[in-house]
Amino acid sequence: VEAKRESRPARGAPQNPLLAMSIMSYNGAAIIAMVGKNCVAIASDLRFGINQQQTTAVDMKKIHKIHDHLYVGLSGLATDQMTLAQKFKFRHNLYKLREGRNMKPETFAHVVSNVLYEKRFGPYYAEPVVAGLDPVTGEPFITGMDLIGAMAPTTNFVVCGNNEESLFGVCESMYKENLEPEELFEVIAQCLLAGVNRDCLSGWGGVVHVISKDKLITRTLKGRMD
Amino acid sequence: MARRYDSHTTTFSPEGRLFQVEYAMEAISHAGAAVGVRTDEGVVLAAEKKILSKLLETSVASEKMHKLDDHVGVAVAGINSDANILINSARLSAQRYLMTYQEPVPMEQLVQTLCDQKQGYTQYGGLRPFGVSFLFGGWDKNCGFQLYQSDPSGNYAGWMAAAIGANATAAQAILKTEYKEGMSLTDARRLATKVLKQTMDSTKLEAEKVEMAEVSWKSDAKQAVAYRVLKETELAELCDQANKEAEAKAAAGKK
Repeated sequence: VEAKRESRPARGAPQNPLLAMSIMSYNGAAIIAMVGKNCVAIASDLRFGINQQQTTAVDMKKIHKIHDHLYVGLSGLATDQMTLAQKFKFRHNLYKLREGRNMKPETFAHVVSNVLYEKRFGPYYAEPVVAGLDPVTGEPFITGMDLIGAMAPTTNFVVCGNNEESLFGVCESMYKENLEPEELFEVIAQCLLAGVNRDCLSGWGGVVHVISKDKLITRTLKGRMD
Repeated sequence: MARRYDSHTTTFSPEGRLFQVEYAMEAISHAGAAVGVRTDEGVVLAAEKKILSKLLETSVASEKMHKLDDHVGVAVAGINSDANILINSARLSAQRYLMTYQEPVPMEQLVQTLCDQKQGYTQYGGLRPFGVSFLFGGWDKNCGFQLYQSDPSGNYAGWMAAAIGANATAAQAILKTEYKEGMSLTDARRLATKVLKQTMDSTKLEAEKVEMAEVSWKSDAKQAVAYRVLKETELAELCDQANKEAEAKAAAGKK
């Protein structure tokens, strides 16, 4: 009687990881944005991995500056993340030339949503977080989005990345309203570091930007390097 | 004789001329003058404002000077609506280059792309040419500060100093004698104002009639360039200086 043989790839041949996991966890990321008193903070981890298991760089910033009071963080597939950042810069440059002013954060968020939805049936594998202050009134604005542009603006915090559950958890417990910039920095930094500790795909330190009307605080965080 | 060959842009005349292109240049010679001066410290663009009514609501945008990208600005002479189309096209072209190469578009490339578009309207389509001449001022890391002039035919050239619009030939002659190699940016601003004054109709130069913009280093660190439009106060000072110089010269001449 012939034994049933399981089909499996030849010994030593690499398994195709895309069959086993989501395209969104190929590179790895963790991003948080929070609202404070007349300020916003946005933070991301610095890991860049390939094929999930291999860490290739530890200085990969996922947050891009659009203008002095508007930042966008992108998680998901790194190549899409980079291309989208370049596309957003393109759109904002033209807007600024034509209108003679910087984009409001809400307007920019709608542009982001629009760019993503254009690819509704073949999407960019990136989930953005927009954080900024209104250039005129200084009012804070943050929103998160899924990969096809569904916005979810809130008045407290947004997270995105591979380990959203952990990030949500720490933010829910540590977040307080109306924090001053330095306090907000502490809270968001601790939330990020705690949130990435339970995720092998993000970490290796972090970077935080706290944006107020007249001041920008940018600091790099030292976390567990693993 | 010319009548038979001037209605179609895409037809040469027996003497080998493109009449529509020449007529476009004629239109530009009635428009407000613009002057450009290039130095190693920056490029200055100065222009005469033609629309001066008190009823005009001034907006942020200027009449003659436009920013194409962070490192390039342009002065316009001719039909403003035609200019707007080309400026839009240039802005898009600059952003597309930035998107693909992740570095600012080199000046000559931008000028060439725009001129190729202008040339198209002299060879196909049966549409009239754009009635605009441009003075492009800017910087790129390959050639430093540059000044280019383009006309409706799609021809362009790089200049140390150039003028377009009304009395351009007269302005160009003055620039030829007064321009000096190695000029400072301050001297260039003064020269541009002086030339503008001598080619404009009025005897006294007023800040409301003039627009000036420049592309120069943002700070002494020379890390980045920026296009900026000069403020009213700076313009007033330059106009004052130009007026005084002219008066002094006239007084000396009388003696």
